[in-house]
Amino acid sequence: MEEKKKLWGFETKQVVYAAIGAALYAVLAIATNMLQLPGAGNVSFRPAVAIPMFFGVAFGPIVGFITGFVGNILADLLSGYGFWLWWDLGNGLLGLIPGLIYPTIESYRASKSIWRAEIFVVLGSLIGMGLASISEMWVSGADMNTVIFANFLPAFISDVINGLILVPLLMIAYAAIVERSGRD
Amino acid sequence: MLVSWRYKYRNSPMDHIDPRARWIFSFAFLIAATSTWNWIFLLTYFIIALIWYRLGNTTWKETRSGWRLVLFMLFMMIVINTIITGGGAGGVVPPGGQLVWPNGFKLFGETVHFGLTIERIWFAFCQVLRILGISMNFILIPYTMDARSYGATFSSLGMPDKLAYTTELAIRFIPSLARNFSVTMDAQRARGFELDDIKGGIFNKIARMAPLIIPVTMNAILSSEDIADAMDLRGFGQGKRTWLYELRYHRWDYIVLGFSALLAIGGLVASYVFHMGDFIVPQFFYNLFA
Repeated sequence: MEEKKKLWGFETKQVVYAAIGAALYAVLAIATNMLQLPGAGNVSFRPAVAIPMFFGVAFGPIVGFITGFVGNILADLLSGYGFWLWWDLGNGLLGLIPGLIYPTIESYRASKSIWRAEIFVVLGSLIGMGLASISEMWVSGADMNTVIFANFLPAFISDVINGLILVPLLMIAYAAIVERSGRD
Repeated sequence: MLVSWRYKYRNSPMDHIDPRARWIFSFAFLIAATSTWNWIFLLTYFIIALIWYRLGNTTWKETRSGWRLVLFMLFMMIVINTIITGGGAGGVVPPGGQLVWPNGFKLFGETVHFGLTIERIWFAFCQVLRILGISMNFILIPYTMDARSYGATFSSLGMPDKLAYTTELAIRFIPSLARNFSVTMDAQRARGFELDDIKGGIFNKIARMAPLIIPVTMNAILSSEDIADAMDLRGFGQGKRTWLYELRYHRWDYIVLGFSALLAIGGLVASYVFHMGDFIVPQFFYNLFA
């Protein structure tokens, strides 16, 4: 009998998925940081942001949140960038919000599921990077223009592009695993 | 791919402070520093942060990657936004103010009118104090805190056990996932995949990452089922966890904790009860432009 998907479930499997997701996000973030966004100074393109988004869609919002939150902390710790809680929380939301569609997905290959995931990837990037950028007003005293043009737009645009391209590819690849192994 | 932790034991004073006390101090500092724009408070906090940073005994060579990030952020926020474009300061600096060049200045024979005010320059100075102070606290963490202590520390600070254990587990997965990544990259390179020289536009570049990201991710997911089963068989989550990494407060940790409480509460009371945290420009700074 197929087990019903619990939106906020966090059992042993989810603990492992979240840990694997966070470690994967950290490793891939470091490995793929070499791509630079043309014309946006030092802002790097991070294809690895697709990992928290995909883990949210595939395993639920808590797994998505931890993947983004802990993964970003670990990536920053490994790169020696320090600890920036507000950007870590923003990365957590990148995974949590797409994770809200987790119980509604029946097939990861279905175009309906992929479209839904794409919409929530955009929403997650908007809210996640929006929160992280706005927090710079509180921490650094930046004004709204700086927050929008120096923080929010480069981060939002690069995350959305990466998410929109890579999340569907990951979903289709995961669908093959689900079908082959009979996972839910 | 070589993934290594930045931490190493230096026998510095910071190595002897309990990680919990260090996290509490860093967040108390964040609360205090973000509650004020008064330069006297910010300068005091900056000096405290400097002393704290020095306790770590780190070198510039070790920490420069973190500082490069902070200096880039400072340049964007302060030089471009506050000084050049005058975009303002989040409502802290009142509109108007005293112009640095009230009659403009000569540049290549032309008179240039640049609306930079003394208040904006002073605000930029306050921003530098605040951002550098906060950065000194948080940049230090990867270099001076043992990654093995995170799970036990977060659990002890009140984080649910499962969440703390997830952090611990993620740290332990990193070396094996980095190895899987290297193996996959080598395998794809053997098939003609070029990671170092991906040509084309942004979309092409991202799509070309897929042959690397997808196999690593799917392999990790496949192996996680076995790990979860092994944990279930050993009764994971059935009782209160114990941690391999033992934490114990010492006398000096209580001093750090007391100082942290004083810093956060004192900062909040001074700013929000006595309204001493407002932005002000000292008279001596105006005199410099007289």
